[in-house]
Amino acid sequence: MKKIKNIFLVGLFSFGLSSCDWVDFDPIESHTITADVYFYTAADYEAAVVGAYDPLQWLNAQHLMMEIASDNTVSGGESATDVIAFQEVDMMTHYPENDQLTNLWKFMYEGINRTNYLAENKDKIEFDGKEELFGEVYFLRAYYYFDLVRLFGGVPLFTEARLTAPDSGTLQRATTAEVYAQIEADLQAAIAVLPSVSGNNQNGRANRVAAQALLGKVYLYQDKFSDAASMLENVIGTRVLLDDYASQFLREGENGLESIFEVQHSDQSVWWDWGYNPQGTEGNFGIIHMGPRAYSGPLFASGWSFNLPVQVLFDSYEDGDQRRDATILNMETWKADNDADYTPAYKDTGFFNLKYIPRAGYSETGQTELNYLNNWRIIRYSDVLLMAAEAYNRGAIDDSKAQLYLNMVRQRAFQDTDHDVSLTGSALTEAIWNERNFELALEGHRFFDLVRTGKAAEKIDGFTTGKNELFPIPQQEVDISNLEQNPGY
Amino acid sequence: MKAKLLFAFLLLISFTGFGQSVQIRGTVTDVDEVPFPGVSFLIQGTTTGGTSDFDGNFVLDVEIGQTIIFSYLGYLTNEIVVKNDQFLNVIMQEDTQSLEEVVIIGYGSQKVSKVSGAVTSVSEKTIESMTPVRTEDALQGNAAGVTVIQSGSPGATPTVLVRGIPSYFGTSPLVVIDGTMQSLDDLNALNPSDIKSLTVLKDASMTAIYGVKGGNGVIVVTTKSGSRNSKTKYSFDAYYGIQEVDKTIDVLNATEYAAILNEASVNSGGDLVFPDISQFGEGTDWQNEVLTAAPIQNYNFTASGGSETSNFFVSAGYLSQEGVVFGGDKSYFDRINLTTNYTTDLNDDLKLIVNTSYANIQNSGLPENSITSVLSNALNFDPTLPVYDENGNYSTSSTITQEIVNPLAQISNNYNENETNKLWGKLELQQDFTDNFGVTARYGYTYVDISQKSFNPLAYYGAGHNATTMNADGTPIFGTDENGEQIQLNNNSVSESKTNYFSFNFESFANWDFKIGENNNFQTVAGFALAKNSGSSVGGSAQDVPFNSWDYADISSATGDVKSQSVYSWQYVTRNISYFARVNYDFNDRLLLSFAGRIDGSTNFGANNKYAFFPSGSVGYILTGDESNSFLKIRGSAGTVGNDNISPQFATITTFPKYTFDGQIITGSALQGIPNDDVSWEKQLQVNVGFDARLFGDRVSIIADYYQKNVDDLLFNPTLSLYLGTPVYPAANIGSTKSNGLDLTVGYNDTFGEEFHFNTNFNVTTSKNMVTAINNGDKFIWGGGYGIPYKTLVRFEEGYAPGYFYGYKTDGVFQSQDEIDAHATQDGAQPGDIRYVDVNGDGIVDDNDRTDIGNPFPRFTVGWNFSMNFKGFDLAANTYASIGSSIYRAYERNLNYTNRAGQTLNRWTGPGTSNSEPRVTFIDTNNNLRPSDRYVEDGDYIRITNLQLGYSLGADSVENIGFSQIRFYAQAKNALTLTNYTGYTPEISGGVMDSGVDRGAYPQPRIWSLGVNLKF
Repeated sequence: MKKIKNIFLVGLFSFGLSSCDWVDFDPIESHTITADVYFYTAADYEAAVVGAYDPLQWLNAQHLMMEIASDNTVSGGESATDVIAFQEVDMMTHYPENDQLTNLWKFMYEGINRTNYLAENKDKIEFDGKEELFGEVYFLRAYYYFDLVRLFGGVPLFTEARLTAPDSGTLQRATTAEVYAQIEADLQAAIAVLPSVSGNNQNGRANRVAAQALLGKVYLYQDKFSDAASMLENVIGTRVLLDDYASQFLREGENGLESIFEVQHSDQSVWWDWGYNPQGTEGNFGIIHMGPRAYSGPLFASGWSFNLPVQVLFDSYEDGDQRRDATILNMETWKADNDADYTPAYKDTGFFNLKYIPRAGYSETGQTELNYLNNWRIIRYSDVLLMAAEAYNRGAIDDSKAQLYLNMVRQRAFQDTDHDVSLTGSALTEAIWNERNFELALEGHRFFDLVRTGKAAEKIDGFTTGKNELFPIPQQEVDISNLEQNPGY
Repeated sequence: MKAKLLFAFLLLISFTGFGQSVQIRGTVTDVDEVPFPGVSFLIQGTTTGGTSDFDGNFVLDVEIGQTIIFSYLGYLTNEIVVKNDQFLNVIMQEDTQSLEEVVIIGYGSQKVSKVSGAVTSVSEKTIESMTPVRTEDALQGNAAGVTVIQSGSPGATPTVLVRGIPSYFGTSPLVVIDGTMQSLDDLNALNPSDIKSLTVLKDASMTAIYGVKGGNGVIVVTTKSGSRNSKTKYSFDAYYGIQEVDKTIDVLNATEYAAILNEASVNSGGDLVFPDISQFGEGTDWQNEVLTAAPIQNYNFTASGGSETSNFFVSAGYLSQEGVVFGGDKSYFDRINLTTNYTTDLNDDLKLIVNTSYANIQNSGLPENSITSVLSNALNFDPTLPVYDENGNYSTSSTITQEIVNPLAQISNNYNENETNKLWGKLELQQDFTDNFGVTARYGYTYVDISQKSFNPLAYYGAGHNATTMNADGTPIFGTDENGEQIQLNNNSVSESKTNYFSFNFESFANWDFKIGENNNFQTVAGFALAKNSGSSVGGSAQDVPFNSWDYADISSATGDVKSQSVYSWQYVTRNISYFARVNYDFNDRLLLSFAGRIDGSTNFGANNKYAFFPSGSVGYILTGDESNSFLKIRGSAGTVGNDNISPQFATITTFPKYTFDGQIITGSALQGIPNDDVSWEKQLQVNVGFDARLFGDRVSIIADYYQKNVDDLLFNPTLSLYLGTPVYPAANIGSTKSNGLDLTVGYNDTFGEEFHFNTNFNVTTSKNMVTAINNGDKFIWGGGYGIPYKTLVRFEEGYAPGYFYGYKTDGVFQSQDEIDAHATQDGAQPGDIRYVDVNGDGIVDDNDRTDIGNPFPRFTVGWNFSMNFKGFDLAANTYASIGSSIYRAYERNLNYTNRAGQTLNRWTGPGTSNSEPRVTFIDTNNNLRPSDRYVEDGDYIRITNLQLGYSLGADSVENIGFSQIRFYAQAKNALTLTNYTGYTPEISGGVMDSGVDRGAYPQPRIWSLGVNLKF
């Protein structure tokens, strides 16, 4: 009898603990959303599109590096070993191991995979506004591929779906022409469905004008001048040039009357993680890089003194051009006039990038180094005018139109017509190219412009023709995916 | 009818033919009054007898005048003549000629003589003689096969490896406390003086019964219990010690610093930084300012005893340790322990065991082992500056404007406090159906609750310093924006979090020991187990703590607006189900066989691979028995154990991605986790061969083992093609590893005369680890790195040891331009710069020339321990040596104006001046700072880890005042370390992928202490 009682006690103790589904796991247990339950509401699609914009914010190194690589700026930083990736690019000695280039490659492909994931799930449900929403998706995919093809040439090309683990190592490089064809197709698809003003009236969303401007640029990069001219013509008249050139680079000038597409940032997120950077921040991590070290004085804030404009650029501006002092901060005069001070660091030139310098009050919450609110100005109206001018001129379509658009830009710069250009032919081409740098210096266009106009070897110390037009495919990718390396690396 | 008659006849004989028959009850214990199960007893001249039960109890029908013989291998035989029917207390004395003992193994215990697998035990006596602060301290140098790399930081978990590094995911051994599965981290809450024994299960035949959890070895902790039928005994132990750092790092003093900076500036075309260097003298020794002699104190009180049907052990302990880096309320670890172990018989056959332990830990820490740690600041800050400026504030540097700050200012701005409350234990029922057959049901649990708070005040580190967030006078920094408006640029912030972990395991198993015939002895166990581990956390932060003060640092009092507040939470759960069994067989105590196996199921794997089976077997043979003066047993085992340390596989959507439209942050989504449906268990095949020998009348003992571990389906997060973007890569079974090594223990003990006992023990642990294949992509994964800008260093890579250092090899210093021209192309090199080896011979020194420059794990370690007793005196000494490890020196910030290592004085200043230290310059175009073997140092060391000298007062005088023991002792821990390493301590813990990288790691202190042990 006692034994039975004992068995009962021991049995009771173990009762109910044995369960056959004990080792099954449902992700709901950790409140995890899985792909199985996604894309069943319009809100899921909208969220995924926001996710597809997100990698745009991670590409800040590109905006710095494409100036450092050019003749406009030097690397700077604390010392010759501060951000080796920038130092190498400055000297044109970059290797396939360059970690900033590797990150850019990964981040751009993350953007492509996010857009593809939407494309893959496009037909799951129908909802109002779906086509317009997918216009943004195609715009973004074109944007990422355009950056990739400009930096690296023909890259692995895929559009059907997001890649998964078994796809690793299965792709090879497409040709440059194939990548451009896909970019054009995506942008045409985007133009067909996008509204002319941003969806929901939300600044920052790609709209038809942005897609047209980008497609015009894509044509120009391929020397398709008549396509470029007619595409860019769609944009002309949709924006105005502001009299005060400098104002568009301030907080108040963001998404302004001259703006066509900007990568959006905000200083309102307090979350940050240095180890998950720049992906983890809504702020613009590029900005802190360009501040003067140990700065004291008004208006600006300290930074890390990278991407320093050179004297030659400063001196290149004509007298009376309002753009010089809106583009470049001459620290020596500023110090003297404002009782300011800073610590000169590596490759100090005494000049700073005033368009994107850290400004007091532009990062107030969270980790302030990571949290600058500045948007990157990707396509401005004056850029479109100059691209159109170049297309009309180089395509031998209409030099007078080229002059007209060029002079619109110059009239704003000098606030008069005394500086108008009446050149034609190749002299006009040179004038347009020079004007691009006066207008767009330190905004990340210079290296690409020098390469596509064949002037890189002439202007950039250490540039090797036949090699440096493209950056190396990341060594890690070459190793893992067995991709062919670009020539010379 | 016949039978009845026979019965009556027998009854008659029993009453008349012999003396009075009685039923006698008793308990067998050892000399410490700990219950002794399994002791054989026999009535002399008969075959009547049995063995004592789990609690050492026995019942026997015997007649007055008969003699009962109690025997147990390794103990002196005890003969007791029965005089009456009173309760019998039988005390078994150890046969000091024999090292025979019982070890606790998974789900049972076994006589050492019958073990055919590989185990190592550390006894209570050893633990007492070491007075470890953390339990793992007692394993270092005492347990062959176990490598312990300690951390000097109070309360920090050391790196513990049982026989090498076969896995990538998880290398810490399983910790089982009184049958309840826990982890290495849980040992920080355990009071070492509650421990009765530590057993390390090393080979597959021992650990396969723990299946998937046993792949990295098992540390079995058994805590103390009381003994039946004994008066309550009390003990009080206390020690007080002072911890000190016995070595500082050689950095430049103020004059040297000024001279070197002048030279660096001139070398890079600048002016003298310090036109007059004669004013500086020695300057400030920042290490001296932050390192302190810090107290450590420990008090324990225990009571134990028992009645006829129950026994108990209760203890209360308090440990208080301050850190040697500043100490005080900025760096400390305080722990309170309360333990109750209670066993009672619910009835004759059913026993209830309730073990309950509680720990409360309070601690606070300073930044350590990073370039922004206090020690890094002490090593890198400007020595020409005084501690305080002329206004009595902490001095600031005008030239060092990033990261590195006055370390005392940093400490004053560092606020955090953590409190851990932890409850763990077990409820266990043991049902004995017969003397040899019993069932155990056990519910073990661990509940941990952790509260953390930290405060990041506005701080001043000098004008323009990138860590400065307020003005020197304590006012917030305002800036002027483009509208001329004043705006506050920085805010202080407070973060709080509450985290809890809960795990339980339920186990039910049956033990059945039986014989077939005379010589076939079986010891069997079979059962099943359920386990669940879960954790969750919620935390938040807020800005604008009033008065910039720690006193008001709480989210509830912070005044920052909603936009500046943030919250987070996370949670996880894993579950396992297991079925296990083991058969131990011996033939006449000669031939030993053991088979064990476990079937494990895990939530971490998909439906196709839910379950895995882990079998093992071992065989042993005793060549010479105990009749002779020597003993030799040969052993061999093989089996598999596993690893399930991955996450469940799902295609997960993250809602972390965000983007900004119209200045508003909008939450988006993206696919984050990509699943690998085929991922399966990692299985290790382990083989072990060894022998145990005792020679010269058991004075010498040798235990030797050779092992090999092979993994063919290594779990690993491979780096996939980068064109997949930035998803979380799934785990895959894509590699293989191989580890092998030798464990050897040699012991010698002797007694000279009556009073002089002497015991010494020498053990060696070797392990060689190799990643033999990674069948994917770039064949490696990065581990730890260092510095600003961040430099990657540690790799887990095919063809190399796990966790090795990857960097450039150096070949001296370029003495001239001719040497540079003759060398492979090395961009930016100038005379006086480091010459790097063109390892791949392609004529260019670039990233492809990086190679293996060191391994942070020792090739072998040696422990040598020694104890002796003479009259009232006792002396214990422990030494530990670690050979073949490398340490990477990563605490130098190397800004132009930060301080530099002492060896900079040997720099190159012209041809022939130095072939090791490069020229000093502010413009390092050669990147002399790149990860290279310049920074790799020999980590070999020999250390006297423990010296303890005790004196016990004579038994007579002690007993007169009611005590059973009064002992005083003096102890020195880490008394002496012999090493060539230039840093503080040649032990840099940090897991497999981060060990050996010294970013200013916490020094191991030397501890001088005085203690007392009282028993009454």
